Amino acid sequence: MSPIEIGLTSVGAIVILVYLGVYIPIALGVVSFVSIWLMRDNFDLAMNLLKIAVGDSVMEYTFATVPLFTFMGLIVSKAGLGADIYEVMNSGFRKVKGGIGMATVGANAVFAAVTGSSIASASVFSKVSVPQMLSYGYNPRFAVGVVAGSSVLGMIIPPSAMLIIYSFVAEQSVGEMFQAGIVPGLMLAAAYVAWIWTMGKFAPSYIGGRPFDETEWMSWGEIAEKTLPITTLIVVVLGGIYTGWLTPVEAGATGSLLGLAIAVVRKKISLQGFWQALLETGHITAAILFLITAASIYSRMLGLAGVPNALGDFLESAQFSFFWIMFFYVVLMIFLGTLLDTASIILIVVPLFLPLIEPMGLSLVWFGIITVVGAEIGLLTPPLGISCFVIKATLDDHRISLKDVFIGAFPFAIVMLVVLILLIRFPSLSLAILN
Amino acid sequence: MNNGVLKTTAAGLSKMANGIAISANAVGTIVVLLLVLVVNYDVVARGIFNKPFLGAVEVVQFSMVLIVFLQLPDVVRVNRLTRSDGFLAVIGERRPRLARNMRRVINFISGTFMTLIAIAIWPEFTEMWESKDFFGIPGVFTAPWWPIKLVIFLSAALCVVIFALKVLTGRDRPEMIRAPEHEEATE
Amino acid sequence: EKITAVVIDGYPAKALWVKEFSDFFIPEVDKRLAESGNYEMDWQESYGGAIVKPKGVLEGVKLGLGDIGIVTTIFHNSKLPSQALAAVTPFVSSDARAVAKAVDEIAKEFPTMQKEFGDENQVYLATGVVLDTYQPFLSKQITGLADLEGSKIAGAGMNLRYLEGIKDAAGVRGGLTDFYNMVQTGLTDGALLWPEAAKTFKIAEVAPYMLKADLGAVNSKTITVNKDYWEKLPDEVKGVLQDVAVLYRDHVAGIAMDRAGESQDAYVAAGGTIVEMSAEDRKAWADAMPNIAAEWAKSLDDAGEPGTEMLEAYMAKLKAAGFEPVRDWAAEAAMN
Ligand code: NA
Ligand code: NA
Repeated sequence: MSPIEIGLTSVGAIVILVYLGVYIPIALGVVSFVSIWLMRDNFDLAMNLLKIAVGDSVMEYTFATVPLFTFMGLIVSKAGLGADIYEVMNSGFRKVKGGIGMATVGANAVFAAVTGSSIASASVFSKVSVPQMLSYGYNPRFAVGVVAGSSVLGMIIPPSAMLIIYSFVAEQSVGEMFQAGIVPGLMLAAAYVAWIWTMGKFAPSYIGGRPFDETEWMSWGEIAEKTLPITTLIVVVLGGIYTGWLTPVEAGATGSLLGLAIAVVRKKISLQGFWQALLETGHITAAILFLITAASIYSRMLGLAGVPNALGDFLESAQFSFFWIMFFYVVLMIFLGTLLDTASIILIVVPLFLPLIEPMGLSLVWFGIITVVGAEIGLLTPPLGISCFVIKATLDDHRISLKDVFIGAFPFAIVMLVVLILLIRFPSLSLAILN
Repeated sequence: MNNGVLKTTAAGLSKMANGIAISANAVGTIVVLLLVLVVNYDVVARGIFNKPFLGAVEVVQFSMVLIVFLQLPDVVRVNRLTRSDGFLAVIGERRPRLARNMRRVINFISGTFMTLIAIAIWPEFTEMWESKDFFGIPGVFTAPWWPIKLVIFLSAALCVVIFALKVLTGRDRPEMIRAPEHEEATE
Repeated sequence: EKITAVVIDGYPAKALWVKEFSDFFIPEVDKRLAESGNYEMDWQESYGGAIVKPKGVLEGVKLGLGDIGIVTTIFHNSKLPSQALAAVTPFVSSDARAVAKAVDEIAKEFPTMQKEFGDENQVYLATGVVLDTYQPFLSKQITGLADLEGSKIAGAGMNLRYLEGIKDAAGVRGGLTDFYNMVQTGLTDGALLWPEAAKTFKIAEVAPYMLKADLGAVNSKTITVNKDYWEKLPDEVKGVLQDVAVLYRDHVAGIAMDRAGESQDAYVAAGGTIVEMSAEDRKAWADAMPNIAAEWAKSLDDAGEPGTEMLEAYMAKLKAAGFEPVRDWAAEAAMN
C-alpha cells in the first residue's frame, strides 16, 4: 500500500473503531501509530512521533484558556448568574406567546458570554426553565427542545472551548476567533427567537402554554441586582480581550477570580462546591487535552502520508466548485455529528480540509466559525447528542423520554443549518467585527 | 492460581491504584487554582506596579502539563475519557457478555497505547535529568524539563495499571454523561 | 540515482526563509547535481505544521521525521546555547550579511555549535539571519535614552535583557502578533521589533516613533541535516549541499537587508518618525546593560567549551569587516 492509501485507510479505521466504542483519543493514537509504522516500515519513527506529540501538544500557552474558562463557567453557574439573567429575561418576554422560550434563548445568549461550554448551559437551563415552562402548560417537547437548541450558543458565543481548539489546529489567533464568534452567535439566537415567534403565530399548539398570571413588573433595582454581576464579567472578559488589555489566557484567569468573588459575596459557594468546581475543571481539561494530543499524532500522520496534499490535488483536478466543497464539508460534519463530540469532529476533519481552504483565498477565521457551528449541529441530533443527554439526565423526569428531547431539538437543528448556510454564503457576517 | 486469591489481589491493587489516582487528581486540582492565581498576579503586577512576572509563560506551560497528566489517571478511573459508546450500550442490552468482552478488549488496547507512551517518554526523562535541560530564556526565567517528562511517564504508567485492572475485573461502568455534572463519582 | 529528501519547517511556505529554500536552495542544488548527472534529488517539502511546529524542527530532524530542517535556534537556549552569540552582543552590527557570515564561520572554525547539533543527531550546514536589527518603537515622542526610563517595552526572548540597565524600565513578554495590541491599549509604551516586522504588523499606527538605536542583527535560523541520513549521502551530494547552504545564507541575508530598507521607508510613509539615537546615548545604553556576552561566554567555558575564544573571534571578525562595536563585549569577558 502507498502512504496515501495507508493514510486514507486509517481515517476509515478510526471512524469504525470510534463507532465500536473505542475511546476517541486511543483510536486516533493507536491507528496513527500503526499507520506511521507501516508507512515508513520503521517502528522507532512511530515511537519518536509519539514522543514529540505527547510532550509538545499540551505545552501550548493558549491552552490554559481551556481550564480557565471551564472553571469560570462552573463558578458562575454555581453563583446563580444563569438563573438571574433568565428571570430578568422572563419578566421582559412574559406577554408574548412562547415568551419563556424566548427568555431561555436570550438568557442563554448572555450566559454564553461567560461560559465556555454548552454542557454548562444545558444543565443550568434544564433546571430553571424547563420546570417553569411545564408548569405554564408548554408543550414538553418544545420546552426541552428550546433548552437544547439554545445551549449550543455556549460554544459559539465567546469564550468557547471549541473556538480555542480550532484556533490551535488552524494556527489562528484565539482572540480573533472569539471576536468572529460574536455576530454568528447573536444571529443564531435571533433566528431561534424568530422561529418561536413564527410558530407562536401560525402553529401555537407546537408551543402550548398560557401567559403569566401575575402582573407585577420587576423593579429596576431588582433588574440591576440580577444583571450587574454578569455584565461586569462580560465587560471585563470580552472587553479585556477585544481591547487587547488582556490575552485570552489572562481574561480567563481574571474572569475566574471575579466569578469566584461574586459567588463568595453572594454566599452561593461552599468550600466543597469550590473544590468540586476545581476538580471538574481538571477532569474536563485532561480529557480535552489528551484528545488534542492524540489528534496531533493523527494530523502529523496525515502530513507524513501526504494525505492533505493529495486531497488538495484531487479536488483541484476534479475542479469542484466552492459550493460543492462546502456542501460536502457540511454533510461530512453532520454525518460525524451523529456520533462524535464537537472537539473530535474539529480535530479529525479540519486537518483534512485546511489545505483546500487556504489556497482558495478563503479566511481561516471564517472557516473556523463554519466548522464550529456545523459540528455543533451534532449536539442536537441522535444517536449521540450531548446536549440532549445532559438535559435528559439533569431533568430526571420519567414523563420526558430521550426521544422527546431529540424530537424537540430537531427544529432547532434545522434553524442552525439555515444559519450555517447564511454564514457560509456571507463570510462578512463572521469577519465584519474584525475589520 | 486460586481464583479467590486473584480476586483479593486485584481488589487490593485496585484500591491502591485508585488511591494514587485520586491523590494525583487532588494535586492536579490545586494546580488549577495555582494557575488562576499566577496569571492574576502577573496581570496586577504588570498593570499596577510596572513589574511583570517574566516567568508567567513558563509557569502556565508547566501547570498545563501538571493539570493534564496528574488528572488523566483519574479521568480514566471514572470513565470520562472521551468516547462514543452508543453502540456498546445497544449491544449491552441484548448481549451483555459480548459487550463486556468488547470493553475488555478496548481497555486492553488502551493500556497498550499508554504503555507505548510510557516507553517513549522514559528515555526523555533520563536524558533531561542528566543534561539538566531547561526551557525559557536564560537570565529572564527558566524551568527544567525533567519534571515534565517524569510526570508524563508516571501518569502513563498509572493509566496502564488502571486499564489493566479494568481488563481483569471487567468493571467499566457504561455511562455516557454524568449529571448533575458537578457531582463527583465515587466508586 | 534518485535520492529523496524530506525538508521540514513549522513555519508556513510563505515565510521568507522557507520561500527562499524552495525558490533558491532547492533549484540551486538540482542545477549543480544536474551538471555531473550522477544524482537527482526527490524533494518532499513539508512546511507549516504539517509534520512539526516551529519549535519542533530540531527534534523532528533529530528523530528522522525530516531529513533536512530549518531550525529556529532562538527556541532552544538550552540545547543550543552557543547559537545565542549574536543575541548576546548587541550594538555591534546591523548588517545581516556580516552577522550571518561571522556566526557561520565561528560555527565552522570552533567545534561547539556543530557539537551541539551533533548531540541532537544532526549535521550543521549554515546559519541564516533574517532580521537586520532590533529597534525600540514607541507610542510617544522621544528624543533619546532618558525617555525610555520608567517605560514598559514589549519584547521576546533575549532582547528583554537589553532593557535591564535602563532605570525603572520593564520588559513585558509577548508574541510578535500581540505587540500591536499591547502598545495600542497602553499596556506597554513600546515594543522591540525589526523594521520588517514593524511594517507587517502596521506598528506605525500605534507606535509612530522609532528610536534608531541599531541594537543589531541576530541569527535565528540554521539549516541542519539528520545525521543518519547524512552518513548515507554520497560525497558529491554532501559537498553540493554544504556549498549551496553558504550561498543560501548570503542570499537570505541579502534579501533581509533589502527588505529592511524598504520597510523603514514604508514605516515613514505610514506616518512613522525615525528618531536618530545619539552616539552618547547608544554608548550609555550599551554600558548600562549587564554584560550578557560575558555571562554567555562564562557558562560555555564552565561547560568545557571555548566560549571566551568564540566571543573574541566573533568580535574580531566583525571589527575586521569594518564594524565598530559600541561596547567591546569580548574585552570584558577576557578579564573575567
Ligand atoms: Na461561550
Ligand atoms: Na449527534
